[in-house]
Amino acid sequence: MKIHTPLVGLLLAVTGFAQMKTVTLPGKSPLINFRIVLTTGAMMDPADKPGLAHLTAAMLAGGGTKDLTYKQVVDAMFPIAASLGSQTDQEMTVFGGTTHLDNLPAYYKLVRSMLLEPGWREDDFQRIKDDTINSLRVGLRGNNDEELGKEVLYQTLYRGTAYGHYSSGTISALQKMTLDDLKQFYKQHYTQSNLILGLAGGYPANFLEQMKKDFAVLPAKDETPVAAIRPEPVDHTRAVIVEKNTRSVAYSFGFPIDVKRGDPDYPALLLMQSYLGPHRMSGGHLFQRIREIRGINYGDYAYIEYFPRGMNLMEPPPNIPRRSQIFQIWIRPVEPQAAAFTLRLAFFELNKLIKDGISAGDFNRTKEFLSKYVNVLTKTKNAELGYAIDSLYYGIPDYNSYIKNGIAKLTLEQVNAAIRKHLRADRIQIVAVSANAEQLKQQLVGSGPTPIQYNSAKPADILAEDKLVEKLDLGLRPADVQIVPVAQVFE
Amino acid sequence: MLWKLVCLVFTAGSIAAVSAQVKTFPFAYTQQDLSNGLRLVTIPTDSPNLVSIYVVVQTGSRNEVEAGKSGFAHLFEHMMFRGTAKYPPEKYNQVLQRAGAASNAFTSDDLTAYYTTFSKEDLPAILAMEADRFQTLKYTPEIFKTETGAVLGEYNKNSSDPEEKLDEVLHDTAFDRHTYKHTTMGFLKDVQDMPSQYDYSLKFFDRYYRPEYTTIVVAGDVDPKNVRALVDQYWGGWKRGSYHPDIPVEPAQQGARENHIDWPSPTLPLIDIAFHGPAYSDTSKEWAALDALATLAFSRNSDLYEKLVVLEQKVDTLSASMAQSVDPNLWEVEARVKSASDLPYVRAQILETIQRFQNQPVAADKLDAAKSRRRYAFTMGLDNSQSVAAAVARYVALRRSPDTIDKLYSLYSQLTPADIQAAARKYLTENNRTIVTLTGAAEGGGK
Repeated sequence: MKIHTPLVGLLLAVTGFAQMKTVTLPGKSPLINFRIVLTTGAMMDPADKPGLAHLTAAMLAGGGTKDLTYKQVVDAMFPIAASLGSQTDQEMTVFGGTTHLDNLPAYYKLVRSMLLEPGWREDDFQRIKDDTINSLRVGLRGNNDEELGKEVLYQTLYRGTAYGHYSSGTISALQKMTLDDLKQFYKQHYTQSNLILGLAGGYPANFLEQMKKDFAVLPAKDETPVAAIRPEPVDHTRAVIVEKNTRSVAYSFGFPIDVKRGDPDYPALLLMQSYLGPHRMSGGHLFQRIREIRGINYGDYAYIEYFPRGMNLMEPPPNIPRRSQIFQIWIRPVEPQAAAFTLRLAFFELNKLIKDGISAGDFNRTKEFLSKYVNVLTKTKNAELGYAIDSLYYGIPDYNSYIKNGIAKLTLEQVNAAIRKHLRADRIQIVAVSANAEQLKQQLVGSGPTPIQYNSAKPADILAEDKLVEKLDLGLRPADVQIVPVAQVFE
Repeated sequence: MLWKLVCLVFTAGSIAAVSAQVKTFPFAYTQQDLSNGLRLVTIPTDSPNLVSIYVVVQTGSRNEVEAGKSGFAHLFEHMMFRGTAKYPPEKYNQVLQRAGAASNAFTSDDLTAYYTTFSKEDLPAILAMEADRFQTLKYTPEIFKTETGAVLGEYNKNSSDPEEKLDEVLHDTAFDRHTYKHTTMGFLKDVQDMPSQYDYSLKFFDRYYRPEYTTIVVAGDVDPKNVRALVDQYWGGWKRGSYHPDIPVEPAQQGARENHIDWPSPTLPLIDIAFHGPAYSDTSKEWAALDALATLAFSRNSDLYEKLVVLEQKVDTLSASMAQSVDPNLWEVEARVKSASDLPYVRAQILETIQRFQNQPVAADKLDAAKSRRRYAFTMGLDNSQSVAAAVARYVALRRSPDTIDKLYSLYSQLTPADIQAAARKYLTENNRTIVTLTGAAEGGGK
């Protein structure tokens, strides 16, 4: 990895003029990966325009250029099977695409025009605005209870901070947005000081220099100073139940943590996550206790970093770095009759983890897992490039070395101390997506047991544990449960 | 990885041909058959230290021939993680963890595939453990019932998506006899009845989890000789089976069919227009022609996409596909419409577009662009050991060999506008057509 910038922590609000940065992974592959990053995102949305950063990026990636209509861009990309996608998170916006070396000049010419000479056509704008509104209304609110629950959790925890809205914004704000709003955001935030040019593969020797020269047309402004993200502490356990007509109950719950990549306790918490609930893996502890032994649902996982679209992805997408992260448990949809029990079971397991810690055997195995699994995370050049850009952002060495070295030095005591320090089983924000919200509320706040019925015999130790679980007090008071009709979410 | 055009290298006796023709699949590979019928495909790639294994069983929802047993191939995908005497689930997971492995499985119409990506030094341990579960899987009725709960959980997590329902109703409406009538998840009533089907599950395993149904694809930082020796050692003793399913043949459809779904929640209207198409073929041009037609008529650079999505903005997604299946399956166009009042208009536009392709040959330059796109899209996807093994697994389910990839792309390169027109005329007829629409409880949308 070559990083052409001093490793200053970009997290600091650097004042003064800063140049564009580059991250390159030159190689022999005929595939050339582009990740063109702007260190700006939804946290820079004006208060009355949530979704502006997202819509601006979507317009650049999904609209025409000064000289080409959108249809002409699509036609040019079509025979070379290429595209330019955009991803906007709170702190970072990335434009990504891959081309075969055969088609590099044609592809780059399109990318350059799309990002540096956008067409800003009204009909493109209307189409992209509609798409964004529909992705909120139908894609998220209508068709994906799990992602909906996760995003409501983030929105609830970060209310009042610059992360306080979903990156795609709200429907009413999007409806009011104008093309001039987008142009203004572009002018202000698409600057050389916010730019990281990421490039991997067998591109020609002079290609990067040409790119730098081209992107030097962006204004050379100061980096925008950004406010610290300080979410309000969760002072007692509380719940939001998003009510909708759905078959089953999806949960996400958690709380902010003061640990991110680069912080001393990050490797310890990453190990904890890999033990408790590695994403979409059957070896995780929660998966074993909830799905494997009890057959309650499809899977149960834990996170210490933001991980959108987890139902479609096996590995986390790069380039969504955040200076503030949460600890989160994701319980996949549960049959309504088992819903109250399952949440209690997840709390029970979290309690147990904090109280008992990880065993020496689990610690050693998870250590070995992580030291090898990082290679899987960066198995493509495109992913490696994404991780390298994130490492620049967090001010850490390349991700694989950072993890391998950090994990190698860890002791069991450090991990269990980090668990006790950063995790807790009270003062938790719960989000459920469910039909019959009032009924679920009564089951969660009540002191009466909420037992589970199985379709098969279970071992005696599990049944004995269930007796403890079914009456576990979640610490939820009726006044701390808010029921929100789905039509109001992200409206 | 450095790609170049290569020749096939076959090292085993079952297939002896060595071809010097230009290849779309850019890797040299070995393909070998064990005497028990198991096939091994090994593909060294430039993926330092990483190996991906796909164990492909040529059994999917297509094989679920008995009434009330839909969803069993998929259920079996779950049962395969329930352990053996030698590797109970806990030990199985520990071996995967020690290998830093990413591991999962999936089921489709024609296959069930089990995949693992890991560090190369763990190849013997992983191959030994996989061999064990394919040969000696063991689970109690209680464990079986518990796992059916996880399968119902999977049905539940899918059930909030109206497109899943649309697919379920489309296949149920379009097919009468063939097992493509049901989706891979199966009918809900069959999923709910799974807990009482323990004995049938044993029968299912006995029938299909056999070497003659199975191909192991290994890609990455490997030496084929070493892989072969390990596969001989751990998989060589697996006993061949004798079961041959009697897959019902779908009779020709007699007349257009329609169906409608009232979705209980607000969502955007959907329309799916489908026709019975041919089975996958690497020898006849018809399948490739219909696949190309789907791209030419309905992809992002098509005239209709420009009209409905870009200019009129009545539709927000439009796509078409020819199912890549062992038996004849559906060619479909699907659109998501912003307003239910536009459903009849969009339906008419799609049908008119199909008619236009039946009446006029496509321009040669457009066909060339579609051919170029398909070839680049395929080869650009082969950027790591896992994606290489995954791409091969998909074709292994159809023809049990990567050589079908080059045969298919060779057919593609020979496609003419007349081929496209002829396939459209033959298959996309009214008698052969099923249309399913879906509308939400209260209409929403961005307009």
